[in-house]
Amino acid sequence: MTTAQEPAPVGPPPPFDPELSAALGVIREQIARLSTLESIPEVRQARIDATPPVTDDDLRLDGAFEVEERAVPGPPGAPDVPLLICRPVGAEAPYPAIYNIHGGGMILGDHRTGLPETLLPWAKELGAAVVSVDYRLAPEHPHPAPVEDCYAGLVWTHEHAAELGVDPERIIVAGASAGGGLAAGVALMARDRGGPPLLAQMLLCPMLDDRNDSPSVRQMEGLDVWDRTANHVGWTALLGDARGGPDVSPYAAPARVTDLSGLPPAFIDVGSAETFRDEDVAYAVRIWQAGGRAELHVWPGGFHGFDGFAPHAPISREAREARLRWLRRILNS
Amino acid sequence: MRELAGRLAALDPDAGAAVQVIAYFDGLSQARAGLEAIVRGAAVLAGCPARLVDPRRRVRVRVTATGHRDDAGPPPDPAWPRTAVEPDGDAALWLERPGPAGTVEAIVLERAATAARDVLDRTRGRAPAHDPALVELLCDASAPEDARLQAAHRLGLPAAGAVRAVAVEGGHPMIAAGSAPPATGGRRAGVGPAVAVRDLPSSWRAARTALRLTASGTDQDPGPRVVHADEMGGLAVLAESVGPGTPPSPDVAALERAASAAPWILVTLDAVATATSLRAAAAALTLHHSTLQERLAHAERLLGWNVRSPHGKLRLQLALVLRRLHRAPGP
Repeated sequence: MTTAQEPAPVGPPPPFDPELSAALGVIREQIARLSTLESIPEVRQARIDATPPVTDDDLRLDGAFEVEERAVPGPPGAPDVPLLICRPVGAEAPYPAIYNIHGGGMILGDHRTGLPETLLPWAKELGAAVVSVDYRLAPEHPHPAPVEDCYAGLVWTHEHAAELGVDPERIIVAGASAGGGLAAGVALMARDRGGPPLLAQMLLCPMLDDRNDSPSVRQMEGLDVWDRTANHVGWTALLGDARGGPDVSPYAAPARVTDLSGLPPAFIDVGSAETFRDEDVAYAVRIWQAGGRAELHVWPGGFHGFDGFAPHAPISREAREARLRWLRRILNS
Repeated sequence: MRELAGRLAALDPDAGAAVQVIAYFDGLSQARAGLEAIVRGAAVLAGCPARLVDPRRRVRVRVTATGHRDDAGPPPDPAWPRTAVEPDGDAALWLERPGPAGTVEAIVLERAATAARDVLDRTRGRAPAHDPALVELLCDASAPEDARLQAAHRLGLPAAGAVRAVAVEGGHPMIAAGSAPPATGGRRAGVGPAVAVRDLPSSWRAARTALRLTASGTDQDPGPRVVHADEMGGLAVLAESVGPGTPPSPDVAALERAASAAPWILVTLDAVATATSLRAAAAALTLHHSTLQERLAHAERLLGWNVRSPHGKLRLQLALVLRRLHRAPGP
């Protein structure tokens, strides 16, 4: 036995899908790189500059949704949590609800980001409400603030389901990237605390493992739009010096959980050429091994968040269609 | 690409957008994307449907502004911006919007057409060189050059492009595009080096030499079914001077004797000669490492030399190649 364990060697990175590769060549020049904790303000500003704000009008989707902002009680001793509530106009109550947790590496974004492009059109088609939570961000608010805010918003949504016209038995948690990790964490908390019964969890390229050392992490270093360096910064913002150590809560990093039984059905997707590939595949495998239900899609040649950056590519369309198909199946079962 | 297209639209058309359009199509070409991806790039970046039509090659690809393939659509409007895909051909790319192309649209058209031309050349243009008499003429060093160039023209081969002659066992000469691996249909084949059309006779000669270095790939005739002349190195010299009529060297005779002693001898020796290590050879043979060691010791006794030393391995490789050359038709 040697004292230090050598990381297992990895092969070259899997090739990107040709159209994604071309889009990545353009995007890479435009996105601010998260290199250190100190670069966070700059990256946040660049994100604000690059994305026009999402207005209430955008969220109404031509009158398909009624939009409301509510501040609901946060975790004990913490401030209220803002929720964005989009109720389907004309749908017969009680309708199902998708509880959305936005992405952004634990440090970026808000509860409106990206909703008009994907989640709201799906909810419109499914006759579902969308409740989206504006949790506090790291590093100003390290763990457990983000995940506890998400959980508090979920508990409130479940308790006030009747008032919202929502069927309390048909709430799905959903999130992409950091939001996917938080959604997985919220599902674990709901199980462990006897909280709201969830119909399902939709984890899109979720950020699950603070250890940041899987083969895919190493393979895609410097190549994926969210790579090992950015991931290190994101997790360090959330966990500080505890990152990668022995005492990380599974509610922060769900890959750390030892028991994956008793969870609601999961949808997990990820690209084959992205940082999170191995931790996401492993999470699905471990759910099956625990006797649970999971649907796993690994999209060949996809980088992190490929469908958002290059929605025109056929592989992006297929990935999005697979999500909608799963939602429909879950809601109709 | 709404996001990408939106970003492009927000940029100064004279500066950033052009660079990004170029980067996008360069990226497609580098990743060897197909025609649909290229036409989709044009449509999405220009924000209107785009179509590529090549009547000669029967290619028609139309993609909407949202990136969906939809080959239906109205007949081309003379008012649409259009660019020829080849200077002297009738293949063209259109952006389906009225009026002259703006700066960025012109770059989209130009870059997409260039990328499409490369794909057409690579995948559809040059391969169907089928008329056996014309192909034979092309490979015939004794035919006058202008007759060969005329044949090339009739086969639709570009005078400037790179092509290869391919010699398949028991077949007519074949011509393949220089950049793509030739389709040999699983037959034994020698692949000539990529050359200009006028130099096809030399590519053909090399291809035939390469064919003589192939093997049937069976236990009694192990070895590669396809050999590239580019990779023959000094074996080409050997191949020129050894054939069925050459008296076998003592090592080849030893090899034949050993082969008749046990059915596994040749395939085992070939694996050892070509694998990077004994472990890799054992894996290729699906044998346990120690079984392979025992078999090799037995084979070495029959051959009379150690095949595991560097010199012994070279001697073995040469004996295997010489055996193939003796079995192949003469040069």
